[in-house]
Amino acid sequence: MRSQKRRIAVVPLGEVPGIVPKSIAAHILGYLNVNAEVLSPLRHPDYAYDPRRLQYNAGAVLKALESHSFGRYEKVIGVLDVDLFVPIFTYVFGEAKQGGKYALVSLNRLRKGHGEGAFVPEPIYLERAAKVALHELGHLYDLHHCSDSRCLMHFSGGLEYLDRIPLYFCRYCSVFMRDALSRPRHRRSKG
Amino acid sequence: MADKMSIMIVDDEKIIRESFLYWFEKYGHRVEAAASGMEALEKLEKSPFEVLFVDIKMPGMNGIELLGKVKEEYPDTTVIIITAYGSIETAVEAMKMGAADYLLKPFKPEQLSLVMEKVTQQRKLVSEYRYVKGRLEEFTRFENIIGQSPAMQEVFDLIPEVAQSDSSVLIMGETGTGKELVAKAIHAKSKRRHLPFIAINCGAIPDSLLESELFGHEKGAFTGATHPRKGFLEVVSGGTLFLDEIGEISPKMQVDLLRVLEEKKIIRIGERQAIDVDFRLISATRRDLEKEVAEGSFREDFFYRINVIMIRIPPLRQRKEDIPLLVEHFLQKYSRETVKQVDHISADAMRVLKAYDWPGNVRELENAIERAVVLSKARTLKREDFAFLRSPPEPVLKSRSLKEVEREHIQRILEDCDWNVTRASKVLGINRVTLHKMIKRHNLKRP
Ligand SMILES: [Zn+2]
Ligand SMILES: [Zn+2]
Repeated sequence: MRSQKRRIAVVPLGEVPGIVPKSIAAHILGYLNVNAEVLSPLRHPDYAYDPRRLQYNAGAVLKALESHSFGRYEKVIGVLDVDLFVPIFTYVFGEAKQGGKYALVSLNRLRKGHGEGAFVPEPIYLERAAKVALHELGHLYDLHHCSDSRCLMHFSGGLEYLDRIPLYFCRYCSVFMRDALSRPRHRRSKG
Repeated sequence: MADKMSIMIVDDEKIIRESFLYWFEKYGHRVEAAASGMEALEKLEKSPFEVLFVDIKMPGMNGIELLGKVKEEYPDTTVIIITAYGSIETAVEAMKMGAADYLLKPFKPEQLSLVMEKVTQQRKLVSEYRYVKGRLEEFTRFENIIGQSPAMQEVFDLIPEVAQSDSSVLIMGETGTGKELVAKAIHAKSKRRHLPFIAINCGAIPDSLLESELFGHEKGAFTGATHPRKGFLEVVSGGTLFLDEIGEISPKMQVDLLRVLEEKKIIRIGERQAIDVDFRLISATRRDLEKEVAEGSFREDFFYRINVIMIRIPPLRQRKEDIPLLVEHFLQKYSRETVKQVDHISADAMRVLKAYDWPGNVRELENAIERAVVLSKARTLKREDFAFLRSPPEPVLKSRSLKEVEREHIQRILEDCDWNVTRASKVLGINRVTLHKMIKRHNLKRP
């Protein structure tokens, strides 16, 4: 009943393989029972390019998303194919402000296999993207990083860690997520 | 005590401070930022921080200078140095001066989490050690609940009534009001009185340890678990479990305890088999949990489970008529315990004790009497023996408006005069009508 009122938007930023946003939306529906819709792509985030780091500034992309109106969507997940950074980190797979509305998932590093120049098969690539998306969505619903390494909210820096964590929330984080989703909409918004 | 830390980021670059802030918010840590060494020191003076991230290159006081000062004044604080490429030598120097680690920015996210893991482990060991040590030394000196004020009589009337039932009890009251004594009294009058009474201070125990203290663990469940151990939830077997400072437990522990209260079963860490448990839960807090539930920072379902019956213990300043009785009791106790014959108190000294606000409540009063008895050279305690009570001027006053100060002053005088308006108006030097108007304007109410 409530899940029909909540809507999450998955929006490509620039060109991304069409199957990825769809798979992310399907995972959100499947794992959280919340409707997720794939919107038509927004422009490539060239405005966020940092010529010194040769990467894209995640903060600048989030800011651009904020200036867009996504009125009927409670949370928005931007999916992009460029390499993202935040000032203190060399790279990030995803970014979201704790308790916020917008999150990002970068596919740039998710294709890499374990050897030089190797790629992972598509199902693993899609699973990685879904993990990052659900993890960042967890932050948007104010879930913290979890100390349980068998939980989606466990922080996983490198790909080997990302592959090791399962595609589900631990017992506690499930409870916290369920709590967050049962709270009435719009009660808290931290920007 | 949850695993959350208080962290300060000291860096002159705003974007660096911000990205640290956003990052640590994702762990639920308390994070603050300072743009300079001076600002950092000011913040440290106001409230404690466990971990500092300090940039080496800053205008004014540089990171190394700040490190030196912090290590000197707050040796328990962990300092992590942040540095750019090209200043590794300085970073190495910082390590020699007591920095716990350093990070070259920008760093990989996993480098920061490795550093944090190391810090967490270290701090966990320290706090576990302190807890275990404290537990051995701990014994409750404060033994009696005394009072003839109506507020305390209400509490006394409640105790036997509450003891009859088996519902969970939540005791609310400031520090030092004797919450544990009330819990013990309920246990002593209940049908569980011949079974154990186990008290745990959730505020003093690290979360990781609380879990194994409560639930027990199997051999090898984690490093250091060389023997299987029963948790208190099992050991209490039919008795009363008293969880003091329940407001301090982490959201995860709230989920776990809620489950135990609902299912009356526990699973030891590292085990699969559930064990039936039976106990009565009494919890206590000095925090306003109702407010925290409303704000969403304390679980509502858990709150209703632990709060079937609520007992509020009034602070000592709201039942000043009990002070003479308490003083009498502690005087006797400490003149018996010390070899000294100090068993009287002057009227002047009693006035000082009645005028004081007792933020630490009965425990503070007991400590004050003990101290005065030990130091006194005469048989009668005098006003001068309590000179140490004259509290320093409240620093908060600085930021108060005249109206607030006026309100507080009037309230204090009214309380001192037991709300006798005629007497209070004399003390304040205004007439009764004016005082009545002021009481109305400030919306002051007799407690
Ligand atoms: Zn995260
Ligand atoms: Zn978790």
